[in-house]
Amino acid sequence: MINLLLDILTTAGILFIVSIGLLIVFGVQKIINFAHGAFLTIGGYVALLVTGAHFSPWLAPPVALLAGALIGAIVERVIVRPLYNRPLDAILATWGLSIVVVQLITIGFGRGVQFVTSPVSGAIHVFGADYSLYRLIFLGIAIVLGLAVGLLLRSTRLGLVARAVILNENLARSLGIDSDLVRFMTFVVGAGLASLAGALLTPLLSVDPTMGVTWLLNAFMLVMVSGTSLISLMLACVVLGGAQVVISTFGNPVLGGLTIVVLAAILLRLRPTGFARA
Amino acid sequence: MRSTVSLPSETRSSELIRLGCVCLAALGLVGIGPLCLGEYSVDILIRSFLFGAVAVTLDILWGYTGILSFGQSAFFAIGAYAGGLIFTHLGLTPLDAILAVGIGLIVASLLGALVGWLAFGYGVSDLYVSVATLVLCVVVVRILYAGGTFTGSSSGLSGFTTFDLSMPVWFALTGSFLVIVAALGWLLVHSDAGTLFVSIRENEQRARYFGLATGRIKIALFAAAAAIAALAGFGYASYTDVVAPDLANFKFGTAIVIWVALGGRATLLGPAIAAVLIDFISAYLSGSLPFIWELLVGVVFIAVIVVMPQGLGPGLARGVRSMLPLRSVAPSSAAQLSIASQPVITAQSDHGPSAIAVTALSRHYGSLRVLDDISFTAQAGELVSLVGPNGAGKTTLIRCISDGTERSGGDVAILGCSIGRLTPEYCARLGLGRKFQTPTVFEALTVAQSLRIARARIDPPSLWRRADTINLPQAALQVVQATGLAEQLANPVRSLSHGGKQALELAMVLAAEPRVLLLDEPTAGLTKAERRLIGGILVDLVARHRLCILLIEHDLDFVRQISSRIIVLHQGRIVLDGDVATVVGSELVRTIYAGEPQAIGAMT
Repeated sequence: MINLLLDILTTAGILFIVSIGLLIVFGVQKIINFAHGAFLTIGGYVALLVTGAHFSPWLAPPVALLAGALIGAIVERVIVRPLYNRPLDAILATWGLSIVVVQLITIGFGRGVQFVTSPVSGAIHVFGADYSLYRLIFLGIAIVLGLAVGLLLRSTRLGLVARAVILNENLARSLGIDSDLVRFMTFVVGAGLASLAGALLTPLLSVDPTMGVTWLLNAFMLVMVSGTSLISLMLACVVLGGAQVVISTFGNPVLGGLTIVVLAAILLRLRPTGFARA
Repeated sequence: MRSTVSLPSETRSSELIRLGCVCLAALGLVGIGPLCLGEYSVDILIRSFLFGAVAVTLDILWGYTGILSFGQSAFFAIGAYAGGLIFTHLGLTPLDAILAVGIGLIVASLLGALVGWLAFGYGVSDLYVSVATLVLCVVVVRILYAGGTFTGSSSGLSGFTTFDLSMPVWFALTGSFLVIVAALGWLLVHSDAGTLFVSIRENEQRARYFGLATGRIKIALFAAAAAIAALAGFGYASYTDVVAPDLANFKFGTAIVIWVALGGRATLLGPAIAAVLIDFISAYLSGSLPFIWELLVGVVFIAVIVVMPQGLGPGLARGVRSMLPLRSVAPSSAAQLSIASQPVITAQSDHGPSAIAVTALSRHYGSLRVLDDISFTAQAGELVSLVGPNGAGKTTLIRCISDGTERSGGDVAILGCSIGRLTPEYCARLGLGRKFQTPTVFEALTVAQSLRIARARIDPPSLWRRADTINLPQAALQVVQATGLAEQLANPVRSLSHGGKQALELAMVLAAEPRVLLLDEPTAGLTKAERRLIGGILVDLVARHRLCILLIEHDLDFVRQISSRIIVLHQGRIVLDGDVATVVGSELVRTIYAGEPQAIGAMT
C-alpha cells in the first residue's frame, strides 16, 4: 500500500518535471513546443557525456539545464519568433526541429540504447517499505522545482511581467512591457527545464534518440488539461499519473500506458478547461 | 426573372476538359512507367502512389477545411491490417478479399466518425482534433502491440498470401488509384461543396449562423477521408505483403502532414507530388545516406513553414507558368445572380405566433449578471430597435436569442418554436438570421462564393458541380447592387473595404431568407448615403415582406427614422419598451442614454 502510494507520488513528480517546461512556454507564448521531447533527449545525452567524461553524475542536471537553455535561445530567435502569430504552424515547425534533433543525435551517437551512471543507487527504508532512493530524491526535486518556478512567477519582476503577458499580451505591450523579451526568456527557461528533466530521468531510464517522443505526448496532454496554471498541472499529474499507476498495477500494462492520453482526451472533451478553474 | 449582372468567367466545361486531359496524361504515364523505369523504382513507386493518395485526403481535410489531423496514418493502418489479418487468418478467396476491403472501410469510417463526433461538437476547440488524432495513433499502435499472435504484435504480419499480380499491373493499379483520388478530390474542392469547406476553414461560426450544420459536414468529410486512407492501406498490405504497427504511428501521421505542407496546402496536386517524390527519394537514399536524408527533410520542412507557409508547390508552379506561354486563367466565379422565388407572405401570418418571444431570460457569468429577467415579444412586421449604453447587454441579448446554449435561464421562442438548447445552426433553421457587430465574412472567398454559401442551406451545394447562377431574394440583390458589390462579384472578400464587408455580410444574411432578423449595428462604417439605403431596405423588408427585425444601433436619428418600436436596455434590464415617440420623449432615457437631460435635445 505504501509502495503504491509512493509509486503514485513519484510518478506524478516525474510527470510534473517533464511537463513544467512545456507549460511555461504554452502559458506565455500560447504555442505548443513540439520540440519539447527533443530538448528532453538533449538533456539525456548531456548526462551521458558528463558521466562519460567521469564527472560527478550530480553535475549532469545543471549542465543539461544550461545546454538546453542555450540551444533554446537560438531556436527561439530563428524558428519560433517568426511564428508568433501562427500557433498551429509553430507546432509543425517545432516538430520539424524535433526530427532534425533526433537525426543529429542518431548521426552523432548511433541508434542504440545507452545507460548513464546513477548518482545514487539502492533502496531506502521508509514508512515500513523499501523504496528506490532515486525516485524519492526525484520527488523532492519536483517539489523544489515547482516551488521555485512558482516563486519565480509570484515574486520576481520577470514573473510579474510574464503573468501580465499571459493574461493580456496586447495590454502588457501597450504598457511598455517588452513582450518579445518575455517570450524569449520563457522559451529559454522552458527549453532548459526540458533538458533538465531529460538529465534527471537518465538514472531511471536508458537513453536513445527517440526517448523524448513518448514523454512529449504525455506532457502535451497534461498541459492541455492544465491550461496555464502550475497548481492545475500538479493536480493533473497526481490524478492522471495516479490513474496510470493504479491501472498498470491492477489492470493491464497496455492500458496503463494509454491511461494519461486517453483520460486527458476524454476530460478535454467533457470539460475544455480541464483541471484549470473555469 | 434574371438580373443583368454577369461576369466574364471560365466555363465549367473547359475546366473539365483540362482535368480530363491531365488525367489521361497521368494515366498514360502510369501505363508506360514500368517500361522506362528500373524494377526497384517501380517497386518503390507502387507504394509511393498510395501515400500520394493519402496526402490528397489530408490536403482536403487540412488545406481546404482546416482540420489538422495527425491520424490519417491510423486509418491507413486499419485498412492495411484488415487486409493482413484476413489474408493471414482466413485466406484469399474473392469473398475474403471483399470482406477485407469492407471491414477496413467500415471500421475506418466508423472510427473516423467517432473521432469526428468527439472533435467537431459545438464549442470544442479547433485544436482538439489534432489532440484526438494524436491519441488515436497511440491507441491503435498499442492495440496492435497487444494483439499477440493475432496481430503479430511488434513485428506485425508478413508472408501472407496475397494477390498474384505482376509489377506493371500493380503499378497501373496504384497509379490509377492516385489519379482517381486526385481527380475526384479536384472535382470536390472545385465544386460548391468545396467552397463550403473553405468557408468552414475561414469562419465556421459565420457558416453555422447560416444554418449550416458544419459539425456534421466535418464528421462526414473526416469519415470519408478515413475510408480512402484505409483503402490505400489495404492496397499497401496487398502489395508489400507486410503490415507493422509502425504504420499507425503518429510519426507516419506527421510525415503525411509534412508532405502536404511541403507540397502546398490547398493545392491538391502539390501534396500528391510531394508525397510521391519524398517517399521515392527516401527509399533511394535510405541505403546510402540514411539519417542525412531525414535530417534534410526536417530542415527543409522547418524552412518552408517559417519562410514560405504556402509550400514549395505554388512557388514552383508559378515559376513554370511564367516560363510557358500559357494564357492566364481568369478566376472563375458564379456568373449570374438571379432572383429566387420567395413564398408570398400574406398579412394572415401576422395572426400566428410572435416572431420573437423572450420570457424571463437571464445570462450571468459567475456572479456577474449581464442580463436579468428580460421579457418581450416582437411580431412579424415590426422593426424593433434595441438601444442602451455600452455594456447594457444588447449584444449578449442577441447572442442568447440566436444560440440556445448561451442563456442561463428563461426561454426564447422563434415563430412559436422554443429554441431550447439548440446550437446556432438549428436556431437559424427556425428562420433566424444574424449579422454580427464586426463584419464577419469569409476572407478567402470571392463575393459571389460568399453569397453562394449564404444560400447553401436553401440551395444545397453539389459535390461535383458549381452552379453558375446564384438565386438571391430581392432584398439581398438590392443590397448587392446598390452598394457596388455587384461589380465586385469575382473579387476576394479580403480586398473589400470595411463598409464593403458590412454590406456583404448584410447581403449574405438576407440571402438566407430569414423571417426574423437580428442586426448588430448593421450600418457602422457605412457612408450616410449607404446608411439611408440600408434603412430603406430594412423598412421595406418589414412593410412588404412582413419580416421581424431586431436592431442594435447607436445612431438615434437612424433608429428614430426606421423603427416601429424601441426597447431600452440598461444594466441588463429592460427599462422602457414603447413606440418611438414615447421612448424618445422619455426623461428616463435621456438620463440613462446621454447621462444628462439636455444633451439629448438634438435628437428630439
